[in-house]
Amino acid sequence: MMDALLSGMDQLFTLSTMIAMLLGVIAGVIASAIPGFTITMAIVLTLPLTFTMDPLQGVATMLAVYVGGYTGGLISAALLGIPGTPSSVATTFDAFPMARKGEPGRALALGIWASFFGALVSVVVLIIAAPPLALIAVKLGAWEYFSLIIFAMTVVASLVGKSMLKGLMTGLLGLFIATVGSDPMMGVARFTFDSDLLANGFPFLVVLIGIFAVSQLLSEVEDAEGVKHGKALMPDDVNFNPMAALKETLSYPVNLVRSSLVGVFIGAVPGAGGSIANLLAYDQAKRASKTPEAFGTGTPEGVIASESGNSATSGGGLIPMIALGIPGSAVDAVLMASLMVHGIGVGPRLIMDHGDLVYGMFMAMLVAALMVLVVCLFSMRWFLRVTEVPKSIIVPVVLVCCVIGAFALNNRVTDVYLLLGVGVFGYVLSKLDYPLAPLVLGVILGPIAETNLRRALMSDENWMLFFTRPISLGLLLLAALSIVLAVRHHRRAKRLQAA
Amino acid sequence: MSQSTTDRSPSGERHAPGRGGPLAHVLLNIALAALFTALFVRAQALPSSMWEPLGSGSFPRLVLAALVALNLAIAFKEARAFLRQSPGERGQVGAWIWRHRLAFAVLALFAVYIIALPWLGFSLASLAFLLAGQWLLGARSLKALAIAVVVALVFSLGVDTLFRDVFVISLPRGLFG
Repeated sequence: MMDALLSGMDQLFTLSTMIAMLLGVIAGVIASAIPGFTITMAIVLTLPLTFTMDPLQGVATMLAVYVGGYTGGLISAALLGIPGTPSSVATTFDAFPMARKGEPGRALALGIWASFFGALVSVVVLIIAAPPLALIAVKLGAWEYFSLIIFAMTVVASLVGKSMLKGLMTGLLGLFIATVGSDPMMGVARFTFDSDLLANGFPFLVVLIGIFAVSQLLSEVEDAEGVKHGKALMPDDVNFNPMAALKETLSYPVNLVRSSLVGVFIGAVPGAGGSIANLLAYDQAKRASKTPEAFGTGTPEGVIASESGNSATSGGGLIPMIALGIPGSAVDAVLMASLMVHGIGVGPRLIMDHGDLVYGMFMAMLVAALMVLVVCLFSMRWFLRVTEVPKSIIVPVVLVCCVIGAFALNNRVTDVYLLLGVGVFGYVLSKLDYPLAPLVLGVILGPIAETNLRRALMSDENWMLFFTRPISLGLLLLAALSIVLAVRHHRRAKRLQAA
Repeated sequence: MSQSTTDRSPSGERHAPGRGGPLAHVLLNIALAALFTALFVRAQALPSSMWEPLGSGSFPRLVLAALVALNLAIAFKEARAFLRQSPGERGQVGAWIWRHRLAFAVLALFAVYIIALPWLGFSLASLAFLLAGQWLLGARSLKALAIAVVVALVFSLGVDTLFRDVFVISLPRGLFG
């Protein structure tokens, strides 16, 4: 192991690799900071550039984009209230209110440190526990997956806001939206009405941009007089104090470690990934907090949970890929492709046949996390200047970015039409006080839930298997416990409000 | 996390409560309940499979049934709120629309931009949208207009060139491309 580690480090720490990684980090941060541009897009665009590099340099550059991307999503989530990537949805819940209260620098600094520690924890877990964790992750059958999704759906209870009925309604609406288009098992067209517009369903990213970005940007321009007089997004007195934020981040060690471990585990489960991890980590932090009522109003605990949770998925996602050759997400599949381009077979023997490469990748994750930290701490003052840009510039520009993001996803103009429709609907829902986060969660989890439910019953029609398989039962018990605690908390909050 | 803006202006001041909010809820939720009922009926025509017990219609039907029930429950709750509240001052709806005039104008402009995108192409449509959008949102002085032109050029022609030449992604070219 030591030989492989030293050999990997020797290959990694060259000037050209460090420069390529630094550029990758910057590209990842910037791409993810633009609403509508995802980490997957950034990494796919990077792939052809790595063909001429040697294997470790190529993978290290892509890992740099990957790690940078998880932190970059924080920027637009905190400053605009629009998640830069699906993995930063929960970051909008507290980082944006904190920024709105005049502390955008604090929100960003907390997020940067939490992201760094999340990535750090994930690398440590990756090095120590990759093989055993991967074996657990792939033992999950359709029953366990379905139960895991049921558990994840209970997060909705934390996201419902003031009205449980409205939260459940938008969560179910998300599940329904996910059923439009081709049936995942039989390929039958559902609710498409023979229209080209609906033939491919609602891509998740289009729903995310429409729901959050379009409705948020329209809300920004409601204050007609303020906008016309050049009002900026935030108050102009912006304070950025990274050391104070470091102290504050470290003052929540349990939250930091718990959220990071949630991120690693969810990242290690193929198909789950960062878009769920940040919400689950946020939910767990809220339940464990002494002041759950502060969540959603700009509490540091919420920012730390979401950002450490989503960044930790970067290491978690590599676990099944490195240990078993199974890509946990689209990004991992692109990373695998980059290795295969160089003639390296990815599978259970990867760590034995190319130990230096694997340990080099672990080190690259660590170096990338450090680079992201340095790049963000030095560049964040520049990003914070976004808050001084008048709304008259920022709103049209971000709307154009949303259109590019929606179109570039599949090169389809129909996705841009859907963006408009979803955006208008999201704006109406937000005006009527419906929480939007459960809708996004429903769209993410819907296809996974349906596919695994049907797959489980296809293997065996016995419903009792959900309760007799130990991991599935454990997850369902956790889900039940989660609902009981949420209802109790909701009632207590209502009693306190009434008193 | 939910944006509680029903009876608040962007500046945060609370407006006098009226029946507008509950009425809007009742109308939306009844419309949604009717839509989901129709979709539920349509979902029954989805084919079943000899290979699996559920088929392609079961999951959507389950979700749609729950959606109908929830929308009716919300409509019922809001109808009671509507009956409990006294009518608001006259002209509240008009005042609400006037307060949101800029948001509606931006939305209308955005809709025109998206509809024009396949015909005009990304560069031209974005250039026009960015110029019109910035003007609409208050860029009226000579300096602000000059900045608006630069911003519009960078984020339309500049971005199009970046995507075409660097990322090899072709944004919509339109009839003139």
